[in-house]
Amino acid sequence: MKARKFLRGAAILALGSIALSACGGPSGNSSDGKVSMTLWENSTTGPGLEFWKSAVADFEKANPNVTINVQAIQNEDLDGKLQTALNSGDAPDIFMQRGGGKMTAMVQAGQLMDLTDKISPDTKKVVSAGSFKAETYQDKVWAMPIAVLPGGLFYSQDLLKAANITGAPATISDLEADVEKLKASGVAPVALGGKDAWPAAMWFYWFSLRECDAATMQKTADSKDFSDPCWLKAAQDLQSFADKKPFNDGFLTTSAQQGAGSSAGLLANHKAGMELMGAWDPGVIASLTPDQKPLKDLSWYPFPAVPGGKGDPAAIMGGVDGFSCSVNAPKECVDFLNFIASTPQQVAYYKAFNAPPVNSEAQKSVTEPYLQEILKAYNAAPYVSQWLDTVLGQNIGNALNVAVVDMLAGKSDPQKLIQTANDAAKKG
Amino acid sequence: MSNAPQTTSTERVSTAELAQHDGSVARASLPSKQRRRRTAWSGPLEIAILAGPAIVFFVAFVILPVAMAAYYGFYRWNGYGPPTNFVGLQNYVVILQDPAFLQALSHNAFIVVASLVLQGPAAILLALLLNRRMRGQSVIRVLIFVPYVISEVVVGTGWSLMLQNNGALNGWLRNLGLGALAHDWLADPGVAMWTLMGILTWKYIGFAVILFLAGLQGIPEELYEAASLDGASYWQIQRRITLPLLGPTLRIWAFLSVIGALQLFDLVYIIWGQYVASTAGTSTMASYMVTNGRNAGNYGYGNAVAVVIFIISLVVALVYQRFVLRRDTAGALTERKAR
Repeated sequence: MKARKFLRGAAILALGSIALSACGGPSGNSSDGKVSMTLWENSTTGPGLEFWKSAVADFEKANPNVTINVQAIQNEDLDGKLQTALNSGDAPDIFMQRGGGKMTAMVQAGQLMDLTDKISPDTKKVVSAGSFKAETYQDKVWAMPIAVLPGGLFYSQDLLKAANITGAPATISDLEADVEKLKASGVAPVALGGKDAWPAAMWFYWFSLRECDAATMQKTADSKDFSDPCWLKAAQDLQSFADKKPFNDGFLTTSAQQGAGSSAGLLANHKAGMELMGAWDPGVIASLTPDQKPLKDLSWYPFPAVPGGKGDPAAIMGGVDGFSCSVNAPKECVDFLNFIASTPQQVAYYKAFNAPPVNSEAQKSVTEPYLQEILKAYNAAPYVSQWLDTVLGQNIGNALNVAVVDMLAGKSDPQKLIQTANDAAKKG
Repeated sequence: MSNAPQTTSTERVSTAELAQHDGSVARASLPSKQRRRRTAWSGPLEIAILAGPAIVFFVAFVILPVAMAAYYGFYRWNGYGPPTNFVGLQNYVVILQDPAFLQALSHNAFIVVASLVLQGPAAILLALLLNRRMRGQSVIRVLIFVPYVISEVVVGTGWSLMLQNNGALNGWLRNLGLGALAHDWLADPGVAMWTLMGILTWKYIGFAVILFLAGLQGIPEELYEAASLDGASYWQIQRRITLPLLGPTLRIWAFLSVIGALQLFDLVYIIWGQYVASTAGTSTMASYMVTNGRNAGNYGYGNAVAVVIFIISLVVALVYQRFVLRRDTAGALTERKAR
């Protein structure tokens, strides 16, 4: 009797789960003209998530036949999940696009919608052609840029003042002197989220940008060959900087963005003086301050010059965050992308994320001095390189991320780092 | 609504009837005259109905993925679209020459041995202790068994927060005036592996204790009575009776522990994240697979690593069953009776 009851229960459960999964239903057009789409973005908390919810609500109000389901996915999990979804033919209709090698791979596999002729004239008026360059492959546009995110050093003015530091460091040796001053003042000089590896690798990428000229970088991106001496020089620069012990204790197991103990959290709670990051950092820091408000004394300066380097000292590295439509998405997907590039939405985006919007009209309403600094440096840069792990592709980028962490932990040296980058080409 | 659900329900009734009727047939207590003759097809049908769903699921979720992994392992493939770039055994050549993989393999081997050496004796002692009537027995049982029940993600997150440089453990040591003992438990390559072993032991010893307790229940009381009548001391009894009779349980536990250690992934991934396990010296073959497969976008390579892990686990399992479990499974898994 008992067993039969149990079995009946199990059968009901099984049937129920089948019925439930059927409710999920495919997105797209249904017979009555109603369109439903899914949106994947990487902001899981606070105003960032709110922005997406309200943008979707505004869009649905203007287009009553459209519903969009927002799914927030943790930044480090997003790429893997997205790839799985794209391959299973069950891709989200609208999703965050990191560009570079990943976008190229998606295009080659025929997974993205070509947006070239679908960008509205209104959008073209306010989003510069340069911003579309990052989302272009083989002369076609595959994503809508929404934010420009150049990198640099975010720092706490209060802590630097307390350490008697005046003004931004012009060269690396100035920065090293600042590190000593910060140490003497009793805070961690530089916060580093080594557990996630890419923040550590960023240091190597910036040294590379200063040591290698633009042509060499492009050549290496195509050939995956790191034999040019400038790469080794960059690794040696990083090694000698790391020898000054500038990073917070336990940086190897410090995450970049999760919780008060993360590198962004250390800056948000005045435990560390500065952090090398992209322009999304103010938003992340704001979500980790004790009152979850933007850090009042946050400021920014560009990565210092490296004397003798072949790269232009004013060159900037950074990404453009964009959003793509999957190849089978309904046509309303592009309408939504044009909508989030519009000025009011871009102003809301900047306010939610504390990050520079891509829309030139919306850029005028940026008030924070550090964001104005970033935009100024960005607009004055002789050239802007994408993040190097994006330029070099996922395989080499990933190998470099691990290799840099190994070197910073004292387990390898500059020669070995370059060797690892060369060897990675065998796996992918 | 269509008629479809109704037909399935009638089908279900008939299946239920059939099962019932077969059950009554199979009941040996009936006098033989009343027993209905089995029809020729009922045997295979019975097998199909009872084992069919399980076989379908097993093929779909175990056999098929293994075959697909073997197939993808021959390609260089970035995971977007179907694989096209056939490279033969190239991936396997790279894997077996990659120092990072060999390092991960040696970590796995260490975890296999250390798990047996650390958990086995401790679990036997705890099981003997908990097998006697004593005060607070149930509390101790719960305390030992709780870690095994908590999910790996919760355990990993909790420990990694406690063990961080500015975490609870170091804070506690400093407050006790033992600041000299404070350490970078997770990042120091000399210590990280022992930290991992400590967490693994804490988590999985409960499983071993429960198994051994069950094994102890199965030892006949008369043996103990006879032994104590013969004047054997407590330790003699444990050594000459309990341990030998626990043998089958011990061997099965060791088998499960070895296979688990070979496939260890979740705790390493949660505590050391996607990248630093190899730096800290706690990488395992499975974490290597994720770092060099999924994270690097080398799906062909990752699948080849999966195949290597599969082969290693299979060989270990077969050898173990052949030589260690032979006495316990004679006739069930092996063909000839063990002598």
